Amino acid sequence: MKFEKKRASTKQNIPTASLPDIVFMLLLFFMVTTTLREVDVLVSFRLPEAKAIEKIENKRLVSYLWVGQDGRIQVNDSLTQLNEIQKIMYAKRVALPNVIISLRIDKSSQMGVVTDIQQELRKASCLRINYSTLLKI
Amino acid sequence: MITLKKKKLPDAEIPTSSMADISFLLLLFFLVSTVIDVDTGIGLTLPEFTPPEQQELVPISKDRLAAVLINENGDVLLNNEIIAIPQISKTLKPRIESKVDQPANKKLVVSVKTDRKTDYNLYIQALDQIKDAYFQVRSEYAINRLGKRFVDIDERSEEMKEIRDKIPITISIAEPEAIKK
Repeated sequence: MKFEKKRASTKQNIPTASLPDIVFMLLLFFMVTTTLREVDVLVSFRLPEAKAIEKIENKRLVSYLWVGQDGRIQVNDSLTQLNEIQKIMYAKRVALPNVIISLRIDKSSQMGVVTDIQQELRKASCLRINYSTLLKI
Repeated sequence: MITLKKKKLPDAEIPTSSMADISFLLLLFFLVSTVIDVDTGIGLTLPEFTPPEQQELVPISKDRLAAVLINENGDVLLNNEIIAIPQISKTLKPRIESKVDQPANKKLVVSVKTDRKTDYNLYIQALDQIKDAYFQVRSEYAINRLGKRFVDIDERSEEMKEIRDKIPITISIAEPEAIKK
């Protein structure tokens, strides 16, 4: 008598035909959801660290202002002078009334420049600000 | 008669077996190259700008004011007592707690004042301590009175509104004094 192993008659390979479709879906999802950086940062800065920080949920409201180690100020994608901030920020505020200005200021800066910027922001009535910091671990 | 048999062409097919590999490579490229940077920081609302001639001085009683002064050497003065920056949170917390049940016009106001030459990092550290004190009070309030963790409470719920009313974060940024020459 011949013994034969019982085998299922169905094929045993995983159907991979739809794999590219699934991966393309994932790819598209990532391509759509990620926002690429729009501006080149021209100043070098290191952010301070803090514990009690909040996340900014709505990214579309955020507008950035950089202050580098050498005290240069950048708004949008160009370096600006202190006295031009008010004009630029007022235009932003008109376009987007609840704009949040995220201040990315180098941690070795002095408070003088920070206060000057804040005064300009107040004059432009951009009152919601956020001191950008990293999470202290 | 010679029958001309047409040569049978093999099935024209595009090889799709490597498609998955290619798309995985693309996917990986996007996953690696995109930076999802979450903006984190210390939020603050600046006061409206009023020209100096229109400014009014509003007296604030001593017991609701906590004045934090940071000079250019990094010394911190909290209500005329010299303390270190990591102590700010501990010192402020009982004062915030004691005013939880008081009306809105009796809440604590924290005033931060710096010199023009004060280090920005120190200012952020001090602000962090103040925020930390407020957050601690808020989360304790949420657990003790509402029975929920602060992080679990929805942004727009009534409970969050109650917490915001009871423990408002009032930080006043005073203009720095011009350096005396």
